[in-house]
Amino acid sequence: MPCTISLRYVTSAVEKTSNEQVEIAVTDEQALITALKQRDPTALAAVFETYADRIYRLGMNLLHDEQHADCVVQDTFLALIEHIDQFEGRSSLGTWLYRVGYNHCLNQLRKVKPSLELDSLDEPDMMPVNFNPWPAPEEMIFTNEITSELERAIATLSPALRAVFVMRDIEELSTSETAGVLGISESAVKVRLHRARLLLREWLAPYFGEQFEQTGV
Amino acid sequence: MECQDLIKYLSDYIDNRLDEALTHAAQEHLATCSNCHIVLDSTQKTILLYRQRDQQNGLTTRRYQTLYDQLVQAFTKQPEGD
Repeated sequence: MPCTISLRYVTSAVEKTSNEQVEIAVTDEQALITALKQRDPTALAAVFETYADRIYRLGMNLLHDEQHADCVVQDTFLALIEHIDQFEGRSSLGTWLYRVGYNHCLNQLRKVKPSLELDSLDEPDMMPVNFNPWPAPEEMIFTNEITSELERAIATLSPALRAVFVMRDIEELSTSETAGVLGISESAVKVRLHRARLLLREWLAPYFGEQFEQTGV
Repeated sequence: MECQDLIKYLSDYIDNRLDEALTHAAQEHLATCSNCHIVLDSTQKTILLYRQRDQQNGLTTRRYQTLYDQLVQAFTKQPEGD
């Protein structure tokens, strides 16, 4: 089954080429892949438009460096160009691109820290300790200070937890798609997501608790 | 349901993955436990904040175009190079 992200592209692709109400499932992703194999620039444009920013955000969230995130996008799409003729569609194109992008990120992280620990399933479960209320969403207007807090918080997560949080909660991939990209089980995705959410919340709680006290909203 | 159970099921509750009985038990607990209610509320806000932050992030227009132009060149040249 193609991922929902693929379907979003496929919808626009179908609208561009035909007004017929056709089933936009695997066949359309296959049409896209066929067009890529035929070196159709419009197919590349469509894939780039759909995924370039997503892969960039994955790179930024994992590497925290604009230049490195740029490189992740470039290397991911160069890999697509190089390997499209061998692409067999065992996973969706979206899943494949995320996987390549993620692996580039890991390689970059390993350059900095060769002994990078990826499996963090042995980490103990945590219980929240901060119970201060947070401001209402409309009070949390994005400032540089809030953006910095969010970046500092996500940087404290291990790459394994960060990757799952980014894919599930930011990019809104399904559990199954995330498991496919990372090569782990769906239950491992759920465990990591749960830990990532609680750790981020706990890290951010003092800051937003203080904001609440100041605004009282 | 106790607090530690609620925390254990928190992510599944947020993602609507609990069965009817557990959902009901969680809702009952949340209605009477302000600490767990705050943890749920702030976890949902955490997710929302990151989602909103990243909606504003992406390649700059200039970098997007430069990267795309480079890729198109590589894309259309590939068959001749083989």
